[in-house]
Amino acid sequence: MADGAGRSDDQPGAEGGTDRRGFLKTLSGAFLSLWALGGAGAIAAYMRAPEHNESSNERVVRIGRLEDLRIGEARLVRHGVSPFFVIRTGAEHVIALSAVCTHVRCILAYDHERRGLICPCHDGRFDLNGNVVSGPPPRALPTYEVSTRAGEVFVRV
Amino acid sequence: MSAHAKEKGMGLWRRATALTLLLLPLAFLLASGAFAAARKTGDGKVTKASGRCGSCHPDERVAFEKSRHAGEDMHCTSCHGGNDQSLDEAGAHQGNGWRGKITRAQDPAMCASCHADEKVMQPYDLPVDQYSQYQTSGHGKLLAKGDGKVAVCSDCHGAHDVLSAHDPASRTYVTNIPRTCGTCHGDTTLVRERKMKDTYHEYLGSVHAKSLFDKGNLKAPTCVSCHGVHGAAPSDIGNVNKVCGRCHTAERRYFKSGPHAAAMAAEQMAECSSCHGDHGIAPSETARLASSCVKCHDKGSKDEVLGATLLADYQSAAEAIEKAEKVVARADAVPIQTEDYKARIEEAHTYLFEALTAAHAVSPEAMSGYTTRARSVGEEIQEELGSKLQNITVEKLFLLVFWFYVIVTIGIIRRFRDAGPRAVK
Amino acid sequence: MSTLASETPARTRRDRAVDWIDARINLSELFSFLTHFGLIYTPVDTRRPLRDVLEQIRTTPLESYARWPHILGLLTALLFALEAVSGILLAFYYQPTALGAYDSTRSIVRDVMLGWLVHHVHMWGSWLLVAVVLVRMIRLFWDGLYQAPRELLWFSAVALAWLVIQLDFTGLLLPWDEQSYWSAVRGLEIVWALPIVGPMLSALVGGRTMSEDVLNRFYVLHIIVLPVLYLAFVYLTFATMRRVGLSRVGGVAPKLTTFRRHASDLVIITLLLFAGLVTLSTLMPFQFHGPADPYRTPKGTLPPWYMLAPYALFQLPLPRWIPGLALVGTAFTLPFLPAIVRAAGNRLDDKRLRMAGLAVFGLWLVLSVLGAFVDRR
Repeated sequence: MADGAGRSDDQPGAEGGTDRRGFLKTLSGAFLSLWALGGAGAIAAYMRAPEHNESSNERVVRIGRLEDLRIGEARLVRHGVSPFFVIRTGAEHVIALSAVCTHVRCILAYDHERRGLICPCHDGRFDLNGNVVSGPPPRALPTYEVSTRAGEVFVRV
Repeated sequence: MSAHAKEKGMGLWRRATALTLLLLPLAFLLASGAFAAARKTGDGKVTKASGRCGSCHPDERVAFEKSRHAGEDMHCTSCHGGNDQSLDEAGAHQGNGWRGKITRAQDPAMCASCHADEKVMQPYDLPVDQYSQYQTSGHGKLLAKGDGKVAVCSDCHGAHDVLSAHDPASRTYVTNIPRTCGTCHGDTTLVRERKMKDTYHEYLGSVHAKSLFDKGNLKAPTCVSCHGVHGAAPSDIGNVNKVCGRCHTAERRYFKSGPHAAAMAAEQMAECSSCHGDHGIAPSETARLASSCVKCHDKGSKDEVLGATLLADYQSAAEAIEKAEKVVARADAVPIQTEDYKARIEEAHTYLFEALTAAHAVSPEAMSGYTTRARSVGEEIQEELGSKLQNITVEKLFLLVFWFYVIVTIGIIRRFRDAGPRAVK
Repeated sequence: MSTLASETPARTRRDRAVDWIDARINLSELFSFLTHFGLIYTPVDTRRPLRDVLEQIRTTPLESYARWPHILGLLTALLFALEAVSGILLAFYYQPTALGAYDSTRSIVRDVMLGWLVHHVHMWGSWLLVAVVLVRMIRLFWDGLYQAPRELLWFSAVALAWLVIQLDFTGLLLPWDEQSYWSAVRGLEIVWALPIVGPMLSALVGGRTMSEDVLNRFYVLHIIVLPVLYLAFVYLTFATMRRVGLSRVGGVAPKLTTFRRHASDLVIITLLLFAGLVTLSTLMPFQFHGPADPYRTPKGTLPPWYMLAPYALFQLPLPRWIPGLALVGTAFTLPFLPAIVRAAGNRLDDKRLRMAGLAVFGLWLVLSVLGAFVDRR
């Protein structure tokens, strides 16, 4: 005899009605307890902190394992509106520099043979230190600090 | 008692004031006298660079001693000759190859006596070909013909106050070069007299000048970037694309691959400047893709149609990106995660710029690769984000279920409420 | 007792549970405490056993304040409770720093599950709360409910309205987006222009320029100081009301009802309120603007709507202290209205006062409309 609706002042009803009333009461009780269930579920869902997906506000960006980067290979990391290149130049040496041209914000391309970054828009060229080699770019590219911890590469943007 | 003390104090005060007022002019006189004396002795004193010349030529001495030359082993006598230790005019202005005032015609050769000497210039890592370059320049040729009004060394570098070109105060520092050339090439009377173009003021309105002065881009071209430094000369037809192509390499490559390069060479037309202008180069404007054709081609010709096609292709891509940006702004207002879309739009902007560069080949094929990519990025973003924005209506459907639930609950509570006794009267 | 128990075993079980608790803790004290906040209306004697107290609560008739127009007072308490719950939830993620404020707010709405609902419910709730306290003040004035012995009720109604506006104003800045930032700047300009009070408040708020300090102080005021003061005045309201009873306008006595009916009504009203807020939040969500940029004022930024009238006053070509003095004067006379009316004796009758109030309200409306159209860059 579930007493879902709580305290009740049952008026003595007709014999036949008792069964139906009891069923209705159980049903209402079940219905109302759904509120508690839903509320608890909603709050639990709300409390679960969202996964920190890569957002442009992050200061330190995880790039991945060092051995996944081949020597001489560059990886373009999409970091919101300011993407950057991570380039492994030697066995232990990894550099990171902005992939946004200082001329009109085109996304640069890495040229392995020329050991530099080339802007596809106006052919501006940068060396791997970020210096302008030729073309219209007015300023050098910003470079970022790279650190390798336990075989994992991090870039401080 | 107290009144007396007060009066006494007042008297003292008054006396002190009077004394100060009396002393003030005296102090002033003394100070200015000392000043004058100091100036006199300063000019009379023998300095290493200018000897005793400063006694009679104080302004020149001051200018010279600030110059780059003064710090080196250079003296007044190095250029003017004479004796810088003598105190009387006759003694000073003679001997040692006395030249006195150097005429404009003499100026280049005299500077070259050191600046064309490899041995002298080597320690400073300075080139020695300026004089020979100058002789090939427009200025140098006219000077050789006896035109005394053309620019000589001192017009740009200064006579006594020569500074290094790396010194921001120098007339030859990057940002000062346009004004330096402009003293002649922007002088309205001189320009009218000699039937020149006022290129200085034209340049000031150009996109290059804006980049140089407003954005502080020292790599932006000044007069000398295109015309040469000492060998100043207008570019020949056929060389224009090389000059502009020094920075605009990609545009030059496309231009040379297109039909215009050969045709313009045949017609003896200046390459880049025919469409873009020369000194007052305006910022690139996409509408010119179509509007500049009729400068040479007939209206309604297939060439003009080609220009319109290029423009339409570009605009449709730019529009797609613009629409995508609007959808992103709408999603940001909800807000929906848009970082990734913004990064893709940034890439699409790159394609748009590439398309404009490729347009120099004047062929739809060269351009469409980039416009297609930009357009597809724009359309994809519109579609993906659009459907995400649509998804919000699901929440509205959920609202119906929620209300059903609320109403049923209220019904149950009302049943419970009415099961009890009625209000007590 | 025992005969009853044999007839209905369920009843005994509950009674036994009540007795079990009563032997271990004096729950009557809790019920006595609750009476201060209006849920329970019957005076509770803490020395009596819990079962008696429950029986008393159940059987004693009470005045129904869940009915119009008394419901306005109930809503100020209920809405505040909803705001408190959603506010606590928001505080789990919000960071009151110049760098974190915008990002954390956006993250609540965008990345956290159901975060948008919590945020929008909180914002719509605040909007409703401001409206409710203002309407309540108007109704108390119109019906002359500031007269003895209800002066304290009027006083706390004015205090609640003032606190709600402060809560809304401080909360508005917290998202730190361009709209909220510049709206708060415009609002603070008014506060700082007030004579005497302005400098005092600016010291409290953290300076005359908008900065991270101001943000932090607004945050502390918003989540601790002002809510605690609000609760104090809610207490004062219910305490006074239990003494002087519900208002009887036009000689109509408020209806008497049972506790069961009253509690059910409370639950239904809360549910409807919550459902209403959820509906508003879903159908009319708040737009998110870009992050605050101290160097760029977006076009058409206005102070919050309840500050438009003073905003317009300050745009008049008058020395600033004149509207400032008028505002401070109004703010200080309003709580003391009952005393002023009494001091004026018979010269002020109900009708004339009503007309005066109507005139002031009209002036306020006109100024607000003017303020909305003030064009300032």
